[in-house]
Amino acid sequence: MLVVGANGVGKSNLLEAVELLGSLRSHRSSSDKDLISWNKQSALLRAQVNDSDEIQLELRRKGGRQAYRNQKLLLRQLDLIGPLRCVGFSALDLELVRGEPLLRRNWLDRLIQQLEPIYSDLTCRFGKLLRQRSQVWRHSQNFPQKDRDALLDAFDSQMALASTRIHRRRKRVLSHLQPLASAWQQRISNNKEDLELCYLPGSLLDGAEEEEPWRLSIEKQLLDQRPQEERLGSCRVGPHRDEVVFSLNGAPARRFGSAGQQRTLVLALKLAELELVGELYGEPPILLLDDVLAELDPARQLMLLDAVGETHQCLISATHLEAFEGGWRKGSQILEAQLFSGLEDVS
Amino acid sequence: MRQPEEKIQVFANALLNARQQVGQCKTCFHLSAENECEICKSEKRQKELLCVVADSRDLIALERTREYKGLYHVLGGLISPMDGMTPEMLNISTLITRVNNEHTKEVILALTPSVEGDTTSLYLAGLLRPFTKVSRIAYGLPVGSELEYADEITLTRALEGRRSMN
Repeated sequence: MLVVGANGVGKSNLLEAVELLGSLRSHRSSSDKDLISWNKQSALLRAQVNDSDEIQLELRRKGGRQAYRNQKLLLRQLDLIGPLRCVGFSALDLELVRGEPLLRRNWLDRLIQQLEPIYSDLTCRFGKLLRQRSQVWRHSQNFPQKDRDALLDAFDSQMALASTRIHRRRKRVLSHLQPLASAWQQRISNNKEDLELCYLPGSLLDGAEEEEPWRLSIEKQLLDQRPQEERLGSCRVGPHRDEVVFSLNGAPARRFGSAGQQRTLVLALKLAELELVGELYGEPPILLLDDVLAELDPARQLMLLDAVGETHQCLISATHLEAFEGGWRKGSQILEAQLFSGLEDVS
Repeated sequence: MRQPEEKIQVFANALLNARQQVGQCKTCFHLSAENECEICKSEKRQKELLCVVADSRDLIALERTREYKGLYHVLGGLISPMDGMTPEMLNISTLITRVNNEHTKEVILALTPSVEGDTTSLYLAGLLRPFTKVSRIAYGLPVGSELEYADEITLTRALEGRRSMN
């Protein structure tokens, strides 16, 4: 489905709504307040996913979110995830290669959460532990040294466990993604580029990939870094310091890749993501392409069309129809977006 | 407005009396009208067993089970540096003194499984371990719930707290 319209008529808005219903997250903003019209108290997203499922998400300025499935209020918004799965690709994703490590961690977390919804509980818990721990340092003058150390011990043992679990999941998803992404990079670059995803964990992970040895090792590292932590005010060990390095033919793409190579790389990652999510659920997810297809050269556009083929449903936005290769236009439903009046079917 | 004035007066007085009279038990810090609460005074309780809870509401919930026959200790909150709740703001030093003086054989920590609850449990376990046996209540599936409908967080916790059947 191609959504066409001038700048600012709400194309990305539509795609963002689908993404939000599918993953409960938006790649553009982290606060619900930014998603609600500035003069309104709430926003409502509703989708008929298939014949039997209607899902609805209400964002409110006061009182947070409310999720409904077939008009029934859900106790946890997490239960909304399932009927609608999607993989998004927008111009912002190009920052995935060039930008800060935080962007790559968030990308990994979003992907793992699609595969394993419980993961968000783990990351929330870890974030809270980190914030609580930093407050201990901030107010450390109020504690006798013995109390402070005992309190840090209590945080360390919980953080070591949460860290171990996050590291394992991130490592695992990257190893699943590696062969798929590498195959796509080869294909798009005509076998010229060899892509490698390298996980650089923020904790030293030695030994077999078992929960117990990793947990004990991280607990010891947390203890050992306390003197530096006291001086610098930030915890030096843990998944919040993870990094993922994308290498093309052995050189880090962040520094050495050309703009075209970086673009191909993000495309390869997204296609791998699409494959992984589809494989796991036995049903291809919806591909959301926000204003990026038009930026790809004709050869890459065709490659993408080939890859998603007839099996995937795609929601694609662009400012003008001419940007698309013929093949894309042929099999698509075309919607024209206009300001305030919604969408008009012109296919 | 439709209620007779005398009735409102009685109700208001009852509230006021409760506010003025209810204080804390000097031993366990449970709500009590007297210096020492009914539980601490009772001769029927097992004095060598001590259950630590965050506040009086948790104590009342545990009492409703009629299963537990030991004594209690109310902390008055949970450790949360983010909210300014430090260990010395809680009834912790009194707990240590009690465990020492009363020759407690076992301390049961009954705190919620949140980050704050777990931090408090671990902190207390570290302090108490040299003096007595320390245990923690199990987290698991509520009775009457079906395994297939339990949420993943509860299930994970229940798996972690599994028990050997050999």
